[in-house]
Amino acid sequence: MGIEFLQGIISVIIILGIAPLFAGFVNKQKAKLTGRVGAPVLQPYYELQKLFKKETINSLTSSFVSRVSPLINLVALIIAAAILPIGFWKPLISFNGDIILFAYILGFARFFQILAAMDIGSSFEGMGAAREATFALFAEPIFFFTIGSIAFISGMSSIYEIYHSIQLNNLSYIVFIVICSISMFLLAVTECSRMPVDDPNTHLELTMIHEVMILDNSGIDLFVYQYSGYIKLFLYTLLEISFFYPFSNQGYFLGIAIFVVGLIILSFSLAVAETITSRFRMKNIPLYLLFATAIGILNLLIYTFTK
Amino acid sequence: MNDLLYPENILFTLAFVIQLSSISFLSIRDQRRALFSSQIVLLIGLALGLFSTLLSALFTSAEISSKTLLYNFISLDGLGTYFLFIIQLVAIPTTIYNFSYLQHYIEQNRTIKSFVTFYIVLLISTQFVVIANQAILFLVSWEVMSLSAYLGMILEKEKEEVQHGSFYYFAASHVLIFVLYVFFFLLHNQTGSWFFSDYHLSFTSGIVVPIIFILSFVGFGIKAGFIPFHFWLPQAHPIAPTVLSAFLSGVIIKMGIYGILRTYHFIKPVPEWCGWLVLVISIISAVFGVWYALSQHDIKRLLAYHSIENIGIIGIGIGIGFIGSANNLPAVQALGFGGALLHTLNHAIFKSLLFIGSGVVYQNLGTRNIELMGGLVHRAKYIALLFMIGSIAISGLPPFNGFISEFIIFTGFFKIADELKNYYPILMLMFVVGLAFVGGLAVACFTKVNSIMFLGSERKEVKRFHTSVYDYLSLTIFTLMCIVIGFYPQPFIGIVNQVIATGFVGKDSSSVLVNIDWLYFTLIFTSIAFGVFVFYLIRLKLEKKYGKRTSSAWGCGYENLNPRMQYTASSFADELNSIPQSLLQYHKEVKVSENAYPIPSKFESHSQDFVDSKIVLPGFNLFRRVISKIQFLSQTDIRYYIGYILIIIIIYSMIAFLWA
Repeated sequence: MGIEFLQGIISVIIILGIAPLFAGFVNKQKAKLTGRVGAPVLQPYYELQKLFKKETINSLTSSFVSRVSPLINLVALIIAAAILPIGFWKPLISFNGDIILFAYILGFARFFQILAAMDIGSSFEGMGAAREATFALFAEPIFFFTIGSIAFISGMSSIYEIYHSIQLNNLSYIVFIVICSISMFLLAVTECSRMPVDDPNTHLELTMIHEVMILDNSGIDLFVYQYSGYIKLFLYTLLEISFFYPFSNQGYFLGIAIFVVGLIILSFSLAVAETITSRFRMKNIPLYLLFATAIGILNLLIYTFTK
Repeated sequence: MNDLLYPENILFTLAFVIQLSSISFLSIRDQRRALFSSQIVLLIGLALGLFSTLLSALFTSAEISSKTLLYNFISLDGLGTYFLFIIQLVAIPTTIYNFSYLQHYIEQNRTIKSFVTFYIVLLISTQFVVIANQAILFLVSWEVMSLSAYLGMILEKEKEEVQHGSFYYFAASHVLIFVLYVFFFLLHNQTGSWFFSDYHLSFTSGIVVPIIFILSFVGFGIKAGFIPFHFWLPQAHPIAPTVLSAFLSGVIIKMGIYGILRTYHFIKPVPEWCGWLVLVISIISAVFGVWYALSQHDIKRLLAYHSIENIGIIGIGIGIGFIGSANNLPAVQALGFGGALLHTLNHAIFKSLLFIGSGVVYQNLGTRNIELMGGLVHRAKYIALLFMIGSIAISGLPPFNGFISEFIIFTGFFKIADELKNYYPILMLMFVVGLAFVGGLAVACFTKVNSIMFLGSERKEVKRFHTSVYDYLSLTIFTLMCIVIGFYPQPFIGIVNQVIATGFVGKDSSSVLVNIDWLYFTLIFTSIAFGVFVFYLIRLKLEKKYGKRTSSAWGCGYENLNPRMQYTASSFADELNSIPQSLLQYHKEVKVSENAYPIPSKFESHSQDFVDSKIVLPGFNLFRRVISKIQFLSQTDIRYYIGYILIIIIIYSMIAFLWA
């Protein structure tokens, strides 16, 4: 308690505060890479502010599900944010088995996201919901093959301790961790509906996954969904940055430096990935996810046999 | 007999007497009154039973010794009392639902007295199954339980599907009882006793104990519904009256789990291959159970497949416990068996909730096909909400009870990996991924069910959606249990811990369950609820300030959207069902216009059970063909049979003579 509790609170506030900034940063770099000037880095904040003041329009067929699920989404993501560590700070929620809580609380958010989409009663949202359910299913194993495998190797089951158990003293383990982080990146792309799985910028309903689910939302609903989207992106980025943990054990300022540098590197790699790839056909997305899973399994097997 | 009359046992005995006496109230001529009075008496009996169970050692004091009654024929040990608790807890709300469900049959001028009789007999015999301490008493109550369930199932016997489905159940329970005969004969042969308390065998003594284990897993596995013994579940559940489906899925199939755990008491410790066998079969049951569920359109059949999934999850817990037992790791045993036991309770609760919820919908719409439902949330908001809570719970998501038991099972995997090192972490990780995959499929399945049934607009016009106070009462009780176990699991963990401490591992080493940071869950889940509430208030305030209205959904400019244009259940699940197409036997029939002029087009998709269509039915056909070869032996004249008996006796005595 005491100082740790305060640090936990501060990290949640940091996550909630700079999540939109990160998204804006990625978009800015993406624009630069494609030769455009691009929107200001703070654009996500402007958009959120605008949405905040808009009228809320619900579908005629919508029920209480539409009204509560954005809020449930946001709360679930805040809880998930409280499980993830920033740098060397102990997160607010950290106990044995919180890795499972993390995975399942995101599942809880997804459950309501899908229901809210179906609540609108249009086939567009239905299509998005079905895709979300399908792809999320294939994404689930990747999470456990990356962080889960580190957990099982180290014998830890709390995300904070799992990342702390990473030791860079053995070559095969370093390779293992690096490949885990690649696999994790592929997962992050899927979960945060970025290219090449989903294109957050298109406006053709047939080609979208996440965007089409919130197609009919507006005002406060859309505000919450957008904001949750930014938080989700930031959470997966944090999962990725945390692989650099072993370096941040050294000291206080090094930890902050790694956090900032990690954010910059990741935003750059996301922007590059989004610039050089085109969106997959829907049919190929399961293959992409199975590919990421296969990397995870192979990596694990190779590590086990070379140990 | 007199030990039943001891002061502390009077309540226990009285509960059974009252439950049994409720049958006599059916002699009242007016059906409505007969139903009402008998069910009230039954409820009193059940409540009294639950009260006496709660008073028993398991739930009150720290020290528990198994209590035996009636010359040792009845025993109240930890495991039995726990299952007795589950039965009584689930039976009460289910019986409350009876009031409303059977009204419909009374309105149709159908006699329901026989059904109610079988229902009461079923409840009593099920309770006897778990407290029996003697093989013959166990088998008799088991058979009475199976038969009364069958007889209750054929309430609407004039329907062909009812005859078909109930026959599956009948055949399966018939095969099962023979397996159990052999199982108990072998036990008797080994120990020379019919009393459970005398059964202490060890795997080290030859081939018989492994056979006993396999027999128990097959026999009780048929009841529980592990794949590949599951084929009767999806046939029998849809056609049974809803009250019975709820009880069948919530409690009766758990008797299979009880049997397996009881056998474990006879033969513990088990070797490691038992654990692996149970784990592999369970994970297959879990994955394919939910995958089959996803492809169903019949809500009750879908729920039946979900029972297979959940039995799989319980089985995974048991498998973990077995591995712990083989390696003498009390902590792993506590987590594995504890997870299994808690999930048994949880599944009994939310599955009954879902079945009763679907029964309420069925009563009003007259169909079980979810493709014809939709928009019911506008008719019955509260029922939609309760059904949704049940769905979240069964998908194993926080903040409800399903998550708690799945969490314990996950922790069990971590514990094995931690304690046994070597190649175990990798193997356990595979199972963890499997279990997470099952969770993902369950989310897909239950978002499908909820959204197609309750959300959107009505696909088939509903004239009147009638719900009675009994529906609400029974559903609310179940939902409250889901919420309480989810938000405040400590007391239930304590109960499970007592069971583990008394029958499975020693008292001192079972504290691992209690030592999980349960307070965290209470805090987190409460803050979720609180957060949503606060945000909702903010939302209301903002809407007041900036306005809100409703408008039709975006249809690419097309104005006349109709309910049939909504996404359907088949299209929702199509992508996932197409992946294991051959295993699910998933067929699609598409008929569309090929020339310029449109003709009425058609799309259908079906899924058949692999085990049923590829193994069971062909197997029976083969059997019938073989049997027909020797049919000439079957004659109408009784003298032939006397001749057969004579021949058999001669052969038998010759064998006996030569043997000696």
